[in-house]
Amino acid sequence: MSDVRPAPARERWRAFTAWYSRALSWLLIASVTILVVPVSMQIFSRFTALIPHYIWTEEMARFLFIWMIMIGAMVGVRESTHFEVDVWPRLGARADAALKLFSALAVLVMAIVFVWSGIEFTRFAWNRISELAELPLWLIHVAWPVAGVTWIVFLGEQAWDAAAVLFGRAAA
Amino acid sequence: MSAATALSPTDAGAILFGVFFLLLFLRVPVAFALGLACLPILLIEPHLTAMSLVQETFNAYNSFILLAVPFYLLAANLMNVGGITDRLVRLSRALVGHFPGALAQVNVVLSIFFAGISGSSTADAASQGKIFIEAQRKEGYDDSFNAAITAVSAVLAVIVPPSILMIVWGGVLTVSIGGLFLAGVIPGLAIGLVQMATVHVYAKARGYPTYPRATLVEGIKAFGVSVPALLTPVIIIGGKIFGWFTPTEAACIAVLYAIALALFVYREMTARGLHDALLDTGRFAAVTLFCVGTASAFGWLLAYYQIPKAIIESVMVWEMGPIGTGFFIAAAFLVVGCFLDAIPAIIIVGTILEPLAKAVGMHPIHFAMIGIVSLAFGLVTPPYGLCLLISCSIANIRVVDALKDTMIMLAPMFGVLVLVILWPDFVLILPKLISPEFLK
Repeated sequence: MSDVRPAPARERWRAFTAWYSRALSWLLIASVTILVVPVSMQIFSRFTALIPHYIWTEEMARFLFIWMIMIGAMVGVRESTHFEVDVWPRLGARADAALKLFSALAVLVMAIVFVWSGIEFTRFAWNRISELAELPLWLIHVAWPVAGVTWIVFLGEQAWDAAAVLFGRAAA
Repeated sequence: MSAATALSPTDAGAILFGVFFLLLFLRVPVAFALGLACLPILLIEPHLTAMSLVQETFNAYNSFILLAVPFYLLAANLMNVGGITDRLVRLSRALVGHFPGALAQVNVVLSIFFAGISGSSTADAASQGKIFIEAQRKEGYDDSFNAAITAVSAVLAVIVPPSILMIVWGGVLTVSIGGLFLAGVIPGLAIGLVQMATVHVYAKARGYPTYPRATLVEGIKAFGVSVPALLTPVIIIGGKIFGWFTPTEAACIAVLYAIALALFVYREMTARGLHDALLDTGRFAAVTLFCVGTASAFGWLLAYYQIPKAIIESVMVWEMGPIGTGFFIAAAFLVVGCFLDAIPAIIIVGTILEPLAKAVGMHPIHFAMIGIVSLAFGLVTPPYGLCLLISCSIANIRVVDALKDTMIMLAPMFGVLVLVILWPDFVLILPKLISPEFLK
């Protein structure tokens, strides 16, 4: 680093998102691992008498699966692994930063929709329970506003970086 | 749907596709571009709200069938960290190592074996890219050839059963998944064979190296250690055909079996390897499936305005026969496959074209195979060909540099696609012979 010191707020933000995305990655690993359990139980209960045939395994698997997708989609925004189609030739640092900034703003719009409509969606499920496992449904619906808020946190970081390159306050 | 809508179907279609392509061009990730394209309509149309976007994505993920996607990815990743892939490399080498272009032939044959266990082409491209690209480079193969052959052979994973695309297709369009699995065997093997022939021609022209022929003893040994791994497709496909498991359960069995092999038979799995396999699976499955949610919302809006019906009615005017329709369907999926991942393409385009196939009396499995093979080719066609993107990034070359070799290798594969279109029995014969009840 040269004598240009990054803003302390910027550094704290980076530290927070790094910690947060590590935590999300562990949750993601946990959700993939646990997913195997209800589906295996379903198979074994059908072919062996070792465990009884639980009615809630299928529903349990689906709900965990929804959380797995949403957590992975959160991590994907920070790591920029959501697939994009690149039809541009090699761009300069500034043009590249301009596109990144635009893309971050577009995803931000979606994040706001997920927070806004997601809260309504969660409220809507507030007093309802699932058919088989009798879980409170808001526990699943709340994944949408959580994803929205998480994206806003991650996108802010990226937009900041891109803006710094675009407006010439940092080397590319 | 009969209620009057504020927007005409033409306007709605223009907004949906216009916003989607504009955002795509501006490098907004595909999943978000699809979701954002729905927004203006949801805000304009008085009967709809932005919550429909949340509701539709929720409905898409709330699916037991899609759960097969992370399981097949996990099975593939466990094969790699658990030493299963290494055994299959040894077997492939014993089988085709003495052909010209030995290592590249092994690359293709391994893809066929891998395809029989995993259902994911991207997992194939990622794992085989790591194994072969550097090794082939050391033996003097050209980088563009290495990236291209790794990418085109990876597409076998979704054509040879089991296949994620077949599961999604079967789930979305209500076609027998067991029937699709059987239908994929012959075209998959045919594509593998033409790829081997292509490698042969390249190797002769460019003088790529050959290994000494494996002894019979080595061949038997290599086969022996691979037997437990080779049983996987038998269990998965057999289990599906005999109706023991649902597709999702079969994928879960593949995971359990891969864990058992890695822990008790080959004993090569480390804690680090397991961690990476799980994390990689979660990341990739989630990003792929997230896109399925927004694609479903997009497709749902198309259906809301009855746009698919309008498209089909305008195409019906051309009065194409079954063969013309077959080529039309293939062309549609090939073009869409250049811009969209295969799963959202099935959800959006598969449902649009289904009535067209039905109208000319095309068998649903035949229609599905034309679509799946075309979409599989889309995995290596730019700008959005995931397998090619992956293999080029591993080879550290630009996609344009691998493009010529990729197109050369695709040419004979198109021959197989034409065969699939012209000759329905090419795909239908195995389901007919083994379990005719799937064809009903």
